[in-house]
Amino acid sequence: MPDNAQLLQLAIATPLGAALIIACGLPKRFSTKLAAAAFTLPALIALWLWSQFPAENAHQYAFLSTTYTGLADFGISLKLGLNGIALPMFLLAAIVGLAAGYYALRSGAERLKLYLLLLLVMHGGLLGVFASVDIFFFYFFHELALIPTFIMVGVWGGRDRHYAAMKLTIYLTAGALLSLLGLIALYVKSGANSFDLIELKDAIAAGGLRGSTQNWIGGLLLLGFGTLVSLWPLHTWAPLGYGAAPSSAAMLHAGVLKKFGLYGLIQIALPLLPLGMQHWAWKLALLAGLGNVLVVGFVTLAQRDLKQMIGYSSVMHMGYCFLGLACLSTIGTGGVVLLMVAHGLSVALLFLLATSIHHRTHSFDLSEMGGLAQKTPVLAAFFVAATMASIGLPGFANFWGELTVFVALWKFSPGLTAVAIAGVVISAIYGLRAAARVFFGPVSEQHQRVQAQHPPADLDWREKLPALILLAALLFFGFYPKAISQPVDQALGYSATPKALFTPLKTR
Amino acid sequence: MTMLQHAILVLLLPLASAVVIALFLRRQGAVASWLSTATAGAIAAISIILLLHGERFENSIEWLRFGDFAVSLGIKFDDLAALMLFIVGCVGFLIHVFSLGYMHDDAARARFFGGLSIFMFSMIGIVLADNLFMIFIFWELVGFSSWLLINHYHHKQSAADAAKKAFIVNRVGDFGFLLGIIMCYWLNGTVNLSELARLGDTHALVFSLALPLLLFCGAVGKSAQMPLQVWLPDAMEGPTPVSALIHAATMVAAGIYMLCRISVLMVPDVLTLIMWVGTATALYAALCAVVQRDIKKVLAYSTLSQLGCMVAAFGLGSNLPGHDGGGTAVLAAGGAAAMFHLTTHAFFKALLFLGAGSVIMGCHHEQDIFKLGGLRTKMPVTFITFTIGVLAIIGLPGLAGFFSKDAILYLAMEKNTAVFAILAFTAVLTSFYMVRLWKITFLGEARSDAAKRAHESGLTMTLPLIMLAVLSVAGGYSGVFGQLAGSVAELVPEAHGSAHTIILMVSLAVMTVGAGSALLFYKTAATDTLEEQARVLFAGLTWLKESFDRLYDYYVAKVQQRFAMLLNFLEQIFLAGLIIRGFAGIVGMIGYGARALHTGSLHAYVFWFLFGAALLWAFAAGVF
Repeated sequence: MPDNAQLLQLAIATPLGAALIIACGLPKRFSTKLAAAAFTLPALIALWLWSQFPAENAHQYAFLSTTYTGLADFGISLKLGLNGIALPMFLLAAIVGLAAGYYALRSGAERLKLYLLLLLVMHGGLLGVFASVDIFFFYFFHELALIPTFIMVGVWGGRDRHYAAMKLTIYLTAGALLSLLGLIALYVKSGANSFDLIELKDAIAAGGLRGSTQNWIGGLLLLGFGTLVSLWPLHTWAPLGYGAAPSSAAMLHAGVLKKFGLYGLIQIALPLLPLGMQHWAWKLALLAGLGNVLVVGFVTLAQRDLKQMIGYSSVMHMGYCFLGLACLSTIGTGGVVLLMVAHGLSVALLFLLATSIHHRTHSFDLSEMGGLAQKTPVLAAFFVAATMASIGLPGFANFWGELTVFVALWKFSPGLTAVAIAGVVISAIYGLRAAARVFFGPVSEQHQRVQAQHPPADLDWREKLPALILLAALLFFGFYPKAISQPVDQALGYSATPKALFTPLKTR
Repeated sequence: MTMLQHAILVLLLPLASAVVIALFLRRQGAVASWLSTATAGAIAAISIILLLHGERFENSIEWLRFGDFAVSLGIKFDDLAALMLFIVGCVGFLIHVFSLGYMHDDAARARFFGGLSIFMFSMIGIVLADNLFMIFIFWELVGFSSWLLINHYHHKQSAADAAKKAFIVNRVGDFGFLLGIIMCYWLNGTVNLSELARLGDTHALVFSLALPLLLFCGAVGKSAQMPLQVWLPDAMEGPTPVSALIHAATMVAAGIYMLCRISVLMVPDVLTLIMWVGTATALYAALCAVVQRDIKKVLAYSTLSQLGCMVAAFGLGSNLPGHDGGGTAVLAAGGAAAMFHLTTHAFFKALLFLGAGSVIMGCHHEQDIFKLGGLRTKMPVTFITFTIGVLAIIGLPGLAGFFSKDAILYLAMEKNTAVFAILAFTAVLTSFYMVRLWKITFLGEARSDAAKRAHESGLTMTLPLIMLAVLSVAGGYSGVFGQLAGSVAELVPEAHGSAHTIILMVSLAVMTVGAGSALLFYKTAATDTLEEQARVLFAGLTWLKESFDRLYDYYVAKVQQRFAMLLNFLEQIFLAGLIIRGFAGIVGMIGYGARALHTGSLHAYVFWFLFGAALLWAFAAGVF
């Protein structure tokens, strides 16, 4: 029986190993079975680790293990572990990976083996990101997950896939490189001679970083990570990319990989660069509040393509995350973690269902649809649930995240709180409008023609199972938010209390 | 079982019913309907036990915590909650029973009854909530159940639109409500109702003009006060039992209940505003009701008008003389009068809506009153009970509406003459349009095939009508209401001596004038007498009714959507085009690199990544 630290390693190694075996030429029928197992095992391990997580020591990393890599000269080693913030994100990656994997298995994609292989690499990378204590590997795993995304958009994408893949590559590579520069600068300036986050923290706590140094490193990280999380106005890759991406890739990227930037800001920038974050807080909040929430909110209202609309709405919701971060408080950051998990689940569910709708209507154009609920009541129910989750209805996890962020935001700026809550009204408009356009009212002419050729069937089990996994998770955290808030609160209490943040550190 | 466990049970039972229906009974409509109704019966029984047992308690558990910020879920069961729970439980149960008959042939019966159970859960959550965050949670959930049930006939465009409108308009109100709750949290350090009251008692409460104003926004949305009243008439697209339960008796009254819960935070200026908003809504809706042809729309505008009266009563509470200003006792008079009217209104308006449902059912879904007529003999039980409902709402002495309306009129007379005059005039209009509705629907000859073939409804539908008729008669007597409302009933303002005589005279006069003129004026014909006799007045009232919808439609189509299109255009042109070209220029190296990569096959991507990784390893291992 392996111990928990080994299980954590196993969770990351499983999808990567399975990808390697498939790459070595495993026949297709074995490949799908192996892939199914490789998507399932990490989810089971993640649930087990979650149950084993020591509640009272959430600020420390549990399940720690270090593997020698041959890069010790640079202070790089493969150090894995989970703290209270990493745990819910790891669980998110495992759940969304499971749903996206199951959906992909029966998606009937061309060259299915290659598709699954890339998805497995992506999944392994994602799990690695949130389990890495070493920030070099934190970055490495991100790249490992990012490259399959580009390929999947370019090869299996829909309309405009070449342009979308190129734009995605330019933006995300630029964002990643900027954040890499920031991380290297942090490594150099800290004097820790290590990429280990724990050692970095200790070194900076002992020495302290000059305010101006914190400012420029913080700015670099915000710009780089911000691009990756679609901070306005660097967000235009997102709706385009998600619009073109195949469903499983969109689910994994929008649901999980996109949170890399926010996660980096919370785990690295907030505790290590408190003054730098304080310096940029207002600028970040204004960009996020006015740009991501208001402008993109209105732009979302103008969308006619269902997938683009979901893409824009996801950009809008990232605005709430940035607003929560800008509060620099335990409440705000805690709300962001809640919202990251909730949004990851709900946006993955929406992308999945959008594809299922497309299978039945052969269109993403909202103006051509109508009355689908009469034929597919279960699909309609799922879509309404996903929409309600994403617009923050209580009972779904998203509500707690938004509520907490709004409460924190009032302390930062009541005016921006009003802007943020106005965004909730906007999201209700586009969310309900989309649901009504697709499912309710009389059956549209266009759709009648499609229905005559392909009578639409309701959701079948291969679609229902992944959708149910995501919906169950949304409801579970919606009814019992403590499952996330407790470890996060403990971890934040240690690393980013307002007190710790606003007491200026010693300067050299 | 302790009373607290009873209260928790009453909250969780309908949730369990909804879950079971959603998961297992989607195709078993009959089983679903009986499960939901049995649950409602249990709720009614437990609510009566809780009411009569007399124990009042509070309890809560922490549900989420970040640092110092915590959200709790808890139960505050006082006399106010006991009264409201009784209304929701009993009226809810009767409407469930009625629905057994009304929805018997509906293909989506399971969804309907599942929706009713979800609604009962959400509504009871509001009633029992001990803090504002919890009220907000269930506040949103009743909005969702309202959306679900208005959307029941979702193949109809009008129903889909009405459901969407109801949800969005409510969210506009909730925008202020949520801001207010958050402001309250930071201003007073708590959102717990009892703690706020304690702070008020020790004069430690921080008052602010904005706080009660923002919280009132929530009530404006949920209780459909001006200018957010537009969603309620449209909500009549839902099945009639839904209109009775959600859009007349309980959910729309939640705004008034919530105001009573937070009355300690009120300041005089805001109360004055609340009084005028309520008064304006009462008058406006009564005017609109006069020109309606649809039996449910008349009742919908009537509901708006009555809700306006309740809100006005709450606002008037501040101004009652004879108390020194500021304290909670002063407010309580207004709140108690509002709750009194809320109670009687729940009984007689549910009765009227169910009566309308019985008519609609009996007349093969004909809702235009000018195509009905002559139902007096064909539907005797419906006729008698509906008549009792009409008499109750117009305030015939001895029936429930008489007592509660007089309490509000007395409050208005004591303080604000203008409000008193408007509310008295509204009462004239109420008698006028209700008697118009009654006469045209039930008297004269049948004016359509549907009405000629009308038949009385079955027992599941007539029994709830009879029960509600009994409550509409008895609910106003102090013996009954005192039992139901406990300490709340003691606060209801009562006129004595000469004031009593004046109120009685005014009350009788407005009823006689309104009812008498309608009885004499309207002919039982296929056309609206008012439209023929006073064309200008009729057109004016119709314009008044439509003006708000026109304004909002204009805003949505011409302002909001165009603004969205403009921003979208700018976004595509500037961000995606110009700026990004610049950005791509700055990172030109990467751009070219990516393009170069992109032109190759996917092997190129993998190659570059592996190349980089190998290079790093080689460097570290000292190969160079």
